Amino acid sequence: MNAKPTRFLSFVPYAAWIVLFVIAPIALITYYSFFDLAGNFTLENYRNFFTSIYFKLIVNSFWYAFLITFFSLLFAYPTAYFLTKTKHKQLWLLLIIIPSWINLLLKTYAFIGLFGLYGPINAFLEMAGIGQHQLLFTDFSFVFVAVYIFIPFMILPIFNSLDKLNPALIDAAQDLGANAWTTFSRVTLPLTMNGVKSGIQVVFIPALSLFMITRLIAGNKVITLGTAIEQQFLVAQNWGMGSTIAVFLILFMFIIMLFTSGSEKGAAGSGKIK
Amino acid sequence: MSVESIIRFDNVTKKYDEDTIVLNNVSFELERGKFYTLLGPSGCGKTTILRLIAGFIEPTEGTILFNGKKINDVPANERKVNTVFQDYALFPHLNVFENIAFGLRIKKIKTDEMKKRVKEALAFVNLEGYENREISEMSGGQRQRVAIARAIVNDPEVILLDEPLSALDLKLRSEMQYELRDLQKRLGKTFIFVTHDQEEALAMSDEIFVLNNGEIQQSGTPLDIYDEPLNRFVADFIGESNIVPGIMIEDFVVEFTGKKFECVDAGLNPNENVDIVIRPEDLVLTTVEKGKLTVTVDTQLFRGVHYELSTYDKDGNEWLVHSTKKAEVGSSVGLDFVPENIHVMRLNETEEEFDARLESYGGSDNER
Amino acid sequence: MGKLSKLPKLYLAFVFIILYTPIFYLLYYSFNSGGTMSGFESFTFEHYAAVFEDTRLIMILINTIVVALLSALVSTAIGVLGAVTITFIRKKALRNAILSMNNILIVSPDVIIGASFLILFTLVGVKLGFASVLISHIAFSIPIVVIMVLPKLQEMSPSLIDAAIDLGASRRDVLTRVIIPFIKPGIFAGFFLALTYSLDDFAVTFFVTGNGFSTLSVEIYSMARAGVTLTINALSGLIFIVTLLLVFGYYAINRKSKNPFSGVRK
Repeated sequence: MNAKPTRFLSFVPYAAWIVLFVIAPIALITYYSFFDLAGNFTLENYRNFFTSIYFKLIVNSFWYAFLITFFSLLFAYPTAYFLTKTKHKQLWLLLIIIPSWINLLLKTYAFIGLFGLYGPINAFLEMAGIGQHQLLFTDFSFVFVAVYIFIPFMILPIFNSLDKLNPALIDAAQDLGANAWTTFSRVTLPLTMNGVKSGIQVVFIPALSLFMITRLIAGNKVITLGTAIEQQFLVAQNWGMGSTIAVFLILFMFIIMLFTSGSEKGAAGSGKIK
Repeated sequence: MSVESIIRFDNVTKKYDEDTIVLNNVSFELERGKFYTLLGPSGCGKTTILRLIAGFIEPTEGTILFNGKKINDVPANERKVNTVFQDYALFPHLNVFENIAFGLRIKKIKTDEMKKRVKEALAFVNLEGYENREISEMSGGQRQRVAIARAIVNDPEVILLDEPLSALDLKLRSEMQYELRDLQKRLGKTFIFVTHDQEEALAMSDEIFVLNNGEIQQSGTPLDIYDEPLNRFVADFIGESNIVPGIMIEDFVVEFTGKKFECVDAGLNPNENVDIVIRPEDLVLTTVEKGKLTVTVDTQLFRGVHYELSTYDKDGNEWLVHSTKKAEVGSSVGLDFVPENIHVMRLNETEEEFDARLESYGGSDNER
Repeated sequence: MGKLSKLPKLYLAFVFIILYTPIFYLLYYSFNSGGTMSGFESFTFEHYAAVFEDTRLIMILINTIVVALLSALVSTAIGVLGAVTITFIRKKALRNAILSMNNILIVSPDVIIGASFLILFTLVGVKLGFASVLISHIAFSIPIVVIMVLPKLQEMSPSLIDAAIDLGASRRDVLTRVIIPFIKPGIFAGFFLALTYSLDDFAVTFFVTGNGFSTLSVEIYSMARAGVTLTINALSGLIFIVTLLLVFGYYAINRKSKNPFSGVRK
């Protein structure tokens, strides 16, 4: 109401941040996507993007991102569900979260050892009589490590939505004659859908753009959109092409956000304003 | 009257958007040292008036005067007015002492003086020795007192209370009603109290403003408003009422339910359509022969001090009766009342017209 | 409620084993006197000693911590002011627009953030190195701080601010005497989260760092690609301990609120 100038003075750094680091980067990426290596205006990047190589890349990326999200969800939901029923659930949740606070690179690095030819997994396989296998640099190891890295972020929103579920609703469903399965499928699951949605959101988009794991674990066998961007920017130095891929990644990101945000009633726990 | 006036609203209107008018052309004057109550259902504009006086919002149109000076543009932190909030708004990170001392610290009052004043304020609300308690350790009633102490310690000229008792249970609530009234008398300050509880308003106030839809419906002493409700809304809102349509045959004679009755109202047009109000406690249960009205008892509830009877006359009008005597459900009974208890309300009469009419037929004001 | 049968318990145990195996695997071999992550020979602290003898590694460690602390401090200051202003915006559409902008960086893939910041810095002429890394870390931490502080601000009854003004407080008084003390847990949570995000970041730093400047993540990446030395294991052991301390510090501060992890993570 009064003293408007001083109020907005405190907002200047934040507003500057929005302009410089949210709007400007997206604008720059879009702008650069129209230039070739020599700095000429061109639509070539976009034409390239729609050729078969990149198409395959997109399909590949989506397929892996889908697999990673699917397995994360498959393992995360029961984990979250059982966690809400433990006695010290906040403590157990904390223990689920802690590994995610360990540097990503270190965990990936551990898997290099674990999956290595002389690692414990192979030692175990040999003991079981299956013999040594090259586990590193396979699709399996890539998906496994990615799921390992993302699963806490899938568990968290699902746990939050399950935890917020009014237990009286479960009692009510049972009171009305629903058995355990019907209660779960007709009451629990629909009411925790928001948690599932935001879980998918925080796993799928990063999974599309993984690049470090693909390098270290999949040995460049798996190429995702993220790997492609990194390659264009840092190896090929072709910012135009890199930006074009980035533009599409941003587009996918918005589309997925649209699909997964839906009616957010705060159950997912992403700090959205009322 | 204007000599002692502390707050005056001149044609004040408050709109939030173009279309949502929360206060419509309201004018009134408040005297120093009285206990006022703004009474009305939620959304009637009572809290808006409070916030306008406190300075949290500005009027869209009109003038607000404080001690004769226009204060439309004076920000809230410079007004000599303090508020007791509905949720108390006590700062959870500060203890009792610091909460009460908040305003004094901002005014940079010296420590000794501050301590003395906080102590006095605590004594005023019967909370001596609670200085170091955390807010979370206080009960609802105690928080209420801290909130009051925090307001009075600043020595404001007017204290605003926004439904401060609504969160308390019934017993505590009536205790606090006595205390608040007592406190106001001891302090001698102007209190403006907002509530939707008519009993609270009747019990505590020097003067009540009944509001609805952003307009003042009626103002006056609790007795005035209870005995002479101006219109259907006020009659309905203040206590329980039986309201039936009637015709004013001539001065002091009114007809309803097909019968003529003697009454004490005058100054209306002959054969004018009116609303008739009779309070449930003014109806006396009697035999059919002795009664002025004959009704059939539909239901009967025991309310502790009295029975509450729902009865119907032959036209289907409901008559609520508060009676110390029991009646038999389904039986026909008679209802008796005296002329003074028939309240005649003119349709769409404003407060000024009502007062003018009272003047015109002489001194009825003194009777009441 | 509160009772689990055998099968779910087994399942949870399985999940926890998988989650912790890599970490303990790293720790285990950090004590191996043999040079590799297979065939444990005998117990030794030599790799831990090696960490402290490697001045280059220590420098990188210091770099990482300095960047994390500075970026967390600055982003907390900017984020808190931003969040406070956002809650005071009355127009719902504008508020939601700003919030969506705020959340863009949270959901954006690291690669995009890294690549776009790289363009930005090159264009503006910021030399790639300490400055560019620090600015990037501040930039991606701000929205996290905002997200952590906003719920606390919304929890605060608006009448508290009215009450402060009513008692004579100026706008500045309201901020320093009421709002900031009230949202303190949120501010701490935001600070800690910003700190760990910065310590954890690899992708963004990888894009915007120059030749002369490296953080731990970037260093581990290049080391892991070149070949495995147990010095990294020892370092991970140390980082694990520090991280645990940080996590429990964060948990202790946030214990009062019901769920300490309701914020969004990348």
